[in-house]
Amino acid sequence: MSKNSNVFLKTCLKKGVLILTIAFLSVAQAFAADPKEGETLFKANCTACHAVGKRVTGPDLKNVDQRHDEAWLVKWVHDSQAMVKGGDAAAVKVFGEFSQQVMPSFANLSEDNVKSILAYIKQEGEALDKKAAAAPAGGATAADSGTSSYTIFGLLGLVVVLFLVIVVLNRVIKTLEQLVLTRKAEGSISETEEEEEAVPSKFVQTIKILASNKKVIALSIVAVLVVGSAWSWKEMWEVGVTQNYQPAQPIKFSHKVHAGVNQINCQYCHSGAWKSKNASIPSANVCMNCHNQINEYKGEALVDADGEKIDGTAEIQKIYQALDYDPATQKYGTSQRPIEWVRIHNLPDFAYFNHSQHVKVAEESIRAAKGLKAEDPVCYACHGEVAKMDEVYQASQLTMQWCVDCHRSTEMKHAPKNHYYDGMVELHEKIKKGEKVTVAQMGGLECAKCHY
Amino acid sequence: MFINKMRGVLVMGLAAAVVLTSCSKVKRDPGLEYAPQMYRPIAYNPDQKNSVFADGKTAQTPVEGTIPTNYEVFHYPHTPEGYEAAGLELKSPLAHTNENLEEGKRLFLNMCSHCHGKTGMADGNVVAKAGFPAPPAYNSALLKNLPEGKMFYSITYGKGAMGSHASQLSKEERWKIIQYVQYLQQQ
Repeated sequence: MSKNSNVFLKTCLKKGVLILTIAFLSVAQAFAADPKEGETLFKANCTACHAVGKRVTGPDLKNVDQRHDEAWLVKWVHDSQAMVKGGDAAAVKVFGEFSQQVMPSFANLSEDNVKSILAYIKQEGEALDKKAAAAPAGGATAADSGTSSYTIFGLLGLVVVLFLVIVVLNRVIKTLEQLVLTRKAEGSISETEEEEEAVPSKFVQTIKILASNKKVIALSIVAVLVVGSAWSWKEMWEVGVTQNYQPAQPIKFSHKVHAGVNQINCQYCHSGAWKSKNASIPSANVCMNCHNQINEYKGEALVDADGEKIDGTAEIQKIYQALDYDPATQKYGTSQRPIEWVRIHNLPDFAYFNHSQHVKVAEESIRAAKGLKAEDPVCYACHGEVAKMDEVYQASQLTMQWCVDCHRSTEMKHAPKNHYYDGMVELHEKIKKGEKVTVAQMGGLECAKCHY
Repeated sequence: MFINKMRGVLVMGLAAAVVLTSCSKVKRDPGLEYAPQMYRPIAYNPDQKNSVFADGKTAQTPVEGTIPTNYEVFHYPHTPEGYEAAGLELKSPLAHTNENLEEGKRLFLNMCSHCHGKTGMADGNVVAKAGFPAPPAYNSALLKNLPEGKMFYSITYGKGAMGSHASQLSKEERWKIIQYVQYLQQQ
């Protein structure tokens, strides 16, 4: 009996547990589409290519649940390529529209995971709609319309001031005329009296006496000569020296934002500096590596060297205009034109300068000689702290004396290895032993030995 | 009288203009130049304007169908099939040496870390501050076992939000970076 009751209890318990689990599972099923879980999953798996409310690499996911049904979306997330190859019309269309970029298969995401992500996308989309409804139409954009409002107001102020000056002067002239007329009428002044007033004053008389004194004349000629030659000596040293030259560029590109705030290394854009004579100005495709996604400037307010406000977003648009690029469709048009940057650092044609020789081969020597910090790029040695410049200017003189001074004082570093000098020593030993060494082995086939 | 008035206004205006412009210390003009015929290049510099070519640029792209010296063509097409094929067949020609790894590290830090982060965790400043969509981390399920051929394809053609880096990195440099990326994935 007791045994039986035990068995009965056990089966009851088992059943109870089973019922409880089933009940729990069904409740869990009802809450499977959890937007919170969806958010973490979305951020971990999707944001590299997708956003809600904006096209990134893949389509804008806002209202995606209205474009496709849930079962289709789950299938797509699990294996989009199978659907494309299977000839699913909607899948083929999306694949074609987004330049045949393959979405990786996320087989690791369960159906519930995908539903959670969809719930999160829906929640985000609704939040965006609410935001759009709350914002007054056009209210936000009207605030900062003119970048050059300072100049316009300044000019308007100037006009007003000048106008006031005209009015005041007119008044003065009128009263004076009135005065002269009344006096004339009274007979207190006559034409002759006016001429008598024009008799030279004492000051003019002394100047006339001094001007006829030979010593004074000689002294002033000497003075003019001395001052003039001192001035021209100073000016002549500055002919052709363009230190501090800071031309206005076609796009108000801020090195402070790119190299300073965002810490993009110099080499990323000026990749030529490490492997060629030229540091190379990046072509617009390098700009677009980031600006295909970043089409708004949201950082701190920018001001150019003249103190005028810079509208970062408008400056980014200038790249798109040059490339005939449409950010909405992410397609390039055909009427492209080059961005005409103004060259700041100009060496005379008769001076040969090679960036890679300095930046790569001599990096350690230059760092030591100029006392650069380890985290600073070697470029600072000559170009100054570019990462702090909103608008770049020529920091160094770039005169021959400036080059020579540095070459006189910089000590050669041989750390950790110098292929050129090690190779030279090796060749030198061979030559001493009378072995065959050709000019080519000593770098005689380098293009730049003859062509530059 | 009227002429005098006009003169007064003119002088005032000029004076105001001089005062306004002389305030700026910004050197927008390069200044005096001596013997420009010796200083200015006779040959065209790559970044210079050029009236010889229709598009006005000196730096022209190579004529279609021609290959520059020492240039190796990347034969995998820019298609999903090309990506898969590169993943299966393409292998690094470089040896795994410390020297390559060091150079790969330097290049990775200079060319990739501002997005992918210094350790490949996708926490570079361009992502964190400028709002570029975060790429998957190198140790994520998606990338952990990515074949090196696919990495090379991605640097060459770009992948997802990332653009092509073929114009900035030579083939050898790309393989060195891949070596360092693989090193980071093992960490």
